Amino acid sequence: MCRLKFDLSILAKHIPFLLEGAWLTLQACTLAVIGSLVLGLAVGAMRTSASPLLNRLAAVYVDIFRNIPFIVQLFFFYFGLPEIGIYIDAFTTGVVALSVAGGAFTSDVIRSGILAIDPGIIEAAQVSGLRKSTIFRKIILPIALRASVRPLGSVFINLILTSSILSTITLNELTGSAKIVASNTFRPFEVYFVLLVAYAALTYAVSIIIGMLHRYLNRNQSEGAV
Amino acid sequence: MISVSGVRKSFGAATVLNGVDLEIRQGEVVSVLGSSGSGKSTLIRCINGLEKIDAGKITVDGFDVSKPRELSEARKRSGTVFQLFNLYPHMTAVQNIALAPVEVLKVPRRQAEDEARELLRSVGLSERAEAYPSQLSGGQRQRVGICRALAMKPSYLLLDEVTSALDPEMTSEVLSILAALAKTGTTMVFVTHEIEFARSISTRIAFLDKGQLIADLPTAEFFSDKGMALPRVAQFLSKMRKD
Amino acid sequence: MRYGDFTPFDIVLLLQGLGVSLALFVSTTLIGLVIGTIWAVIRFYRVPVLTQIVTFVAELLKNSPVLVQLFLVFFGLPAFFKINVTPTEAAVITLSGNSAAFIYVIAVSAIESVGKDQLEAARVFGLTRWQILRRVIAPQAAAFAIGPLTGLLVNQLQVTSLISVIGVMDLTKVGNILNLRTLKPFIVWTAVGALYYLTAKLVAYAGGRFEKRLRAHTAWRGL
Ligand SMILES: Nc1ncnc2c1ncn2[C@@H]1O[C@H](COP(=O)(O)OP(=O)(O)OP(=O)(O)O)[C@@H](O)[C@H]1O
Ligand SMILES: [Mg+2]
Repeated sequence: MCRLKFDLSILAKHIPFLLEGAWLTLQACTLAVIGSLVLGLAVGAMRTSASPLLNRLAAVYVDIFRNIPFIVQLFFFYFGLPEIGIYIDAFTTGVVALSVAGGAFTSDVIRSGILAIDPGIIEAAQVSGLRKSTIFRKIILPIALRASVRPLGSVFINLILTSSILSTITLNELTGSAKIVASNTFRPFEVYFVLLVAYAALTYAVSIIIGMLHRYLNRNQSEGAV
Repeated sequence: MISVSGVRKSFGAATVLNGVDLEIRQGEVVSVLGSSGSGKSTLIRCINGLEKIDAGKITVDGFDVSKPRELSEARKRSGTVFQLFNLYPHMTAVQNIALAPVEVLKVPRRQAEDEARELLRSVGLSERAEAYPSQLSGGQRQRVGICRALAMKPSYLLLDEVTSALDPEMTSEVLSILAALAKTGTTMVFVTHEIEFARSISTRIAFLDKGQLIADLPTAEFFSDKGMALPRVAQFLSKMRKD
Repeated sequence: MRYGDFTPFDIVLLLQGLGVSLALFVSTTLIGLVIGTIWAVIRFYRVPVLTQIVTFVAELLKNSPVLVQLFLVFFGLPAFFKINVTPTEAAVITLSGNSAAFIYVIAVSAIESVGKDQLEAARVFGLTRWQILRRVIAPQAAAFAIGPLTGLLVNQLQVTSLISVIGVMDLTKVGNILNLRTLKPFIVWTAVGALYYLTAKLVAYAGGRFEKRLRAHTAWRGL
């Protein structure tokens, strides 16, 4: 065996480049989280609405995007959209695809959050004369979101991990730039090992933040807090 | 005036209200009595539009609760207090109370919250204004529930077994507030199992049996020979007294 | 007929790709099941050091992108250890390890779902830890785990699509090839997506059936 040397120092001068990739990942994920949340809220509301048509439509969307691999969805958007005359760059395509997929998972979380609300609370709001939209904004949404922080957190962590797949459509986010560094340095083992740890550390940090957020948002909700 | 006429309501095959006629005028305190399952809650839920009636008509100050347009007007005129409080868990006591005045009556927030605090003071809860429901005892929660209903300045208060989830001490806490309200001439429809209390505050007693109103008498008459002449009423009262 | 048009043979190509995906899915699931269960048993016995290592590795695998794991195995291992790793080998190693990590987590919570009092009762009867595991825990834990496991499998089926990136001729890779040749992305990716969708539904259905049978079985044994 010649030289089994695990040498990280070689990566030092590539760190700025990798950080650029990380920054792109962060941007894509932040936008995708917002996109997923907006879509997930709308679809979650549809799935709990009284209209059978909206309900059905929403269910179909969730079913499709939960059961097809993300990379296939991504290629569908990336190669398909230009075909119908929509020209958007890889970054936008990636954010759209992540949002659409994330929205399906988010809507499931929101839906169960809404269904878990004590119906009596909603009845109280109804009899006090609040309009449907007000009840949704002021009562249903805040309660469902508070209860959903942790499951939403796992959805978002998955989103971060999934975002690495954007490297397959020429986007040089964190994984994409690592690929470049790996082939430039001929040190793929070190590069991908560090990358793996970096993602794990990132998601770990996010999960801690989510735990804190959960505790903060639910600080007054625990039984017998007096 | 709340007017209930010829109201029928069934859940599937089970007929729960079978032709109920009842009128509640301003200033009255009407207690609705009846054994479990007789349809008392359903009656209240029909009046505030939480259940759709199958036949008959319910109006609140002339507004028909079966018509979506008029329901919102009808709901502005009645306030409901629930057995299990149903407070909004993510809002403080003050926010619970001020929400509907701000959103429905368009009262400025500052003013609505001041009024909410004033209501809380009147039920002895000025200290707990900023507390969340989970931080309150059952009796305190129900007092907030009453304030929430009163904040809309309703002409009528609908109360469905508002003390049955409370222990005796908390029950008397809440009942004394209701008694005070009755004295000030608040119109109330009061579903309860607290017979003695009903007797002390009501002007009238309505007795439901299997979805039918078999007695609708002034309180004194209900508890006299006239009420006792009805076998179901006599049975019910003797059973309740035994418990 | 233009060069780029679809041919009947493309259907065969798609089905071949599906076959590769399925073969890898089934084999790596089975390997993952074995490894994940062994890890859970290690934890059940509270083997010092090993338990910590297993937990750490599982966490690392669960919390990093499969694509990066795949690159580490396919590009990293050969470069570092000066060995040969084919795309298929890399796919098998990565997917098995990834499945193992998730199955480990499910197995641990399944074992923990069996009440402590039951274990104590079994200990009173003088059963060894291994006997308790086999006779008391395993049947109940299996019934508990089958639901989450079905969800995991539907997910892992989708994860197999990533191996196309390192050149394994799975369903997604066939999609790539057809996409390049025909330049009809909508048709190609819809067809590929539909095949994945149907397979996922099949897996979920089979899982549901299996769960029902298993539950009926344990309920009957409980009498
Ligand atoms: N949503 C519903 N679906 C089906 N049946 C219902 C529903 N709500 C009430 N019921 C039935 O209607 C009957 C009357 O119920 P209701 O709650 O009005 O009785 P109640 O007089 O309030 O009884 P209690 O004193 O126990 O509160 C009961 O038999 C009940 O099971
Ligand atoms: Mg009732």
